[in-house]
Amino acid sequence: MPHYLGSMQTLPSPMHRYKENDTVDYCIVGVGSAGGVLVQRLARAGFRVIALEAGPFWDTEKDWVSDEKGSHELYWNDLRITGGTHPLALGANNSGKGVGGGSVHWAAFAPRFHPSDFRVYSEDGVGVDWPMSYWDLKPYYELLEREIPVAGPAWFPWGDPHGHPYGPHPLGGVGDVLVRGCASLGIRSVAGGPVAILSASHGDRPHCIYRGFCIQGCKVGAKASTLITHVPDAISNGAEIRAHAMASRVSLREDGRADGVFYFDRDGKEHFQRARAVIVSGYAIETPRLLLNSACPGHRHGLANSSGTLGKYLMVQAGNVVAGRFEELIRLYKAPPAHALSEEFYETDPRRGFARGFSVQTVGPLPVAFAKQMVAAVGAWGWGMRQVMMDYNHWATLGVLGEILPGEDNRVELAEEKDRHGLPVAKVTFNLHDNDKKLIEFGKNKVMEIMWAAGAQQVVQESRFAHLVGAARMGSDPSTSVVDKFGRTHDIPNLFVCDGSIFPTQGSANPGLTIQALAARTADYLAKQGDAIFYSNHRELSEPGIRYDLSPPHTRFKGNPRIA
Amino acid sequence: MTRKSFPFLAAGGELKELEQPGYYAGYSTMAQKRNWEEATRNVVTARVEKTLSIRFFSQEEATLLGAVIDRVMPQDDRTEGRTIPILPVLDERLFTNSLSGFRYEDMPPDQEAYRLAIKAIEEMAQDRFGQSFQILTVHRQELILKSLHDGKPEPENTVWQKMPVHRFWAMLMEDCVTAYYSHPWAWDEIGFGGPAYPRGYMRLENGLPEPWEKDEQRYEWNAPVDSLSQLDQESAPPEHGSLHGHGGSH
Repeated sequence: MPHYLGSMQTLPSPMHRYKENDTVDYCIVGVGSAGGVLVQRLARAGFRVIALEAGPFWDTEKDWVSDEKGSHELYWNDLRITGGTHPLALGANNSGKGVGGGSVHWAAFAPRFHPSDFRVYSEDGVGVDWPMSYWDLKPYYELLEREIPVAGPAWFPWGDPHGHPYGPHPLGGVGDVLVRGCASLGIRSVAGGPVAILSASHGDRPHCIYRGFCIQGCKVGAKASTLITHVPDAISNGAEIRAHAMASRVSLREDGRADGVFYFDRDGKEHFQRARAVIVSGYAIETPRLLLNSACPGHRHGLANSSGTLGKYLMVQAGNVVAGRFEELIRLYKAPPAHALSEEFYETDPRRGFARGFSVQTVGPLPVAFAKQMVAAVGAWGWGMRQVMMDYNHWATLGVLGEILPGEDNRVELAEEKDRHGLPVAKVTFNLHDNDKKLIEFGKNKVMEIMWAAGAQQVVQESRFAHLVGAARMGSDPSTSVVDKFGRTHDIPNLFVCDGSIFPTQGSANPGLTIQALAARTADYLAKQGDAIFYSNHRELSEPGIRYDLSPPHTRFKGNPRIA
Repeated sequence: MTRKSFPFLAAGGELKELEQPGYYAGYSTMAQKRNWEEATRNVVTARVEKTLSIRFFSQEEATLLGAVIDRVMPQDDRTEGRTIPILPVLDERLFTNSLSGFRYEDMPPDQEAYRLAIKAIEEMAQDRFGQSFQILTVHRQELILKSLHDGKPEPENTVWQKMPVHRFWAMLMEDCVTAYYSHPWAWDEIGFGGPAYPRGYMRLENGLPEPWEKDEQRYEWNAPVDSLSQLDQESAPPEHGSLHGHGGSH
């Protein structure tokens, strides 16, 4: 049996395997949204690359199922401790394990950040500015929208208005509710995307079949994950993906440069992979955990932590789910959960009494997820649970996606508890602040209003959060940030961080597309710098110029459609 | 499953034991299994056909927790051969230490939490009614469980001073609904389409059924009128909000 990546695509074989004592150019830790793009581009640019992934190398036909409970293994389920005034639920919805990482179970909404997201301090006096602008990232947004590719409306009116390379998807029942509710209140909305799901076949990937199991891993191969969009090309270009390899420590030489990564294989045996440079792409919890666990003489508080900010400024987005019960049937399990949204409330409006804003998006919980929401939203149990669930097909669900500002007290540290390899697990502390609370209250009420306006007869809501970013933020000032604008740590010239953890702020767009765009830009930077990364301490800070020749096959469109 | 003589008064009369509760009479997801691909078919079929043995809980613990689950996720309206296993699924999770990826800093490990809660519930039954929980009347069982649901254990028990009751309740509910609503018989009950690969769906709007789905046939269904676990439309939403794992949303 070939190793399937979606229903049509198979894993290129054989994959190159480096020997135990080989030195590679780059060792990347984590093959998720960022790691998948990095390993593909660096391999194509001619580097010798190994990517370590703690989880399995999915064979989508064998390992994935159209089933909620059966998809539990897609998540990072290992122990983490959570606390603070608003402790975060971790694992299931916000981190993946296995090749593709979280991009395997993201809902695949792929909006860009707005230009204002990069300058929230300058514009609103809150948070911090990014050390780069929207315009630096824009060419990479366009590039990734083609590579993934993104389906959506021909005209997306918010932020920097743009179109999408693939046409919008047909509307499902929940999208219909969002559009109806917004329309009757005079709120602009878009439907059918932007979402990284194919609305038409693309190379060896078929179009969407609207079965609704997006976040259980797309067996069809229509929803983008780096497992199917970038990893195959990485392997074709000589990269090795080493699955079931749990990194335990980044190793430093006496001269203060990284020389490789220690990791445990699936049998618990420790290995060392020697590399000329290391990129950590473990996402907002595991990245700081690995760097903290790598503390050594000269770096007693963890690697790349001379600023003391490693692990701090962790962010999640407000993710309140508003559920409305309708007289008519909705059948919310059909069509991708992600398929309609409004960014009408994205930007700061001083009349609301808080800074920044939120998006309104469709969500599509399957029965188990919906039942849990009813526990939280209406306290359902016993016969009440049975009764509310008998009406499952009458409910529609919309989500708030709101910008929570970075707080120094929101952080990742090491806990007392250890994992099966003896490594301290992460302890996550999260507190909401005044602006966050006001934003959540307003956003929740606005989405409830939209649900009523759509004709719901009962509207309830669940307070919760979505996504994770920050905890190894980028900045120009080495005393207040961990990495520079290309992900290079301020402290160690051949150690990089590239994933959602480098976000200084987060906007109210889903982070996936931005993570991948940043990864492509960092890869271009590394390709331009060439061998200098491996020996020089010179820190080049000019934009590298985009390398269109590093895209995976079948993704070289003539450009992104832009109507009007 | 302990069957209790609940004075059922649903639907204007006695709530009948049904092969298939819900509004989708005659709908069967399992009847579609030849249209599913192999991996999914294997996982879902095993859930229906395979009996899991109890390996984590002792027999006493299993009996008591079974009685709790019978009230938290009641199935008295289901015929004997069509009840959905919940306790064995929970037992399997604890035995294999399958976690949801996090633990609240003020909670013990899941296994210890369940053992503590079982002890507390039994002590509460003895303190309040002088009888073991599993032989209490349904109403008395519900009184105790409702007090946990409300976050105000009645009577007080020292376990709940060490372990936040609302967090335990959220975990118990998460485990129960995960077992129940991942079972194809529950999908039939609520009219969920179930697995749909490679076939997919084609009727996306207006709540229309696929050719192989059934349209809803509503009738007046009510929970037993004297049950304390009915939905309380008037009550404020739970104070503590969302405490469960967040798989499957966004």
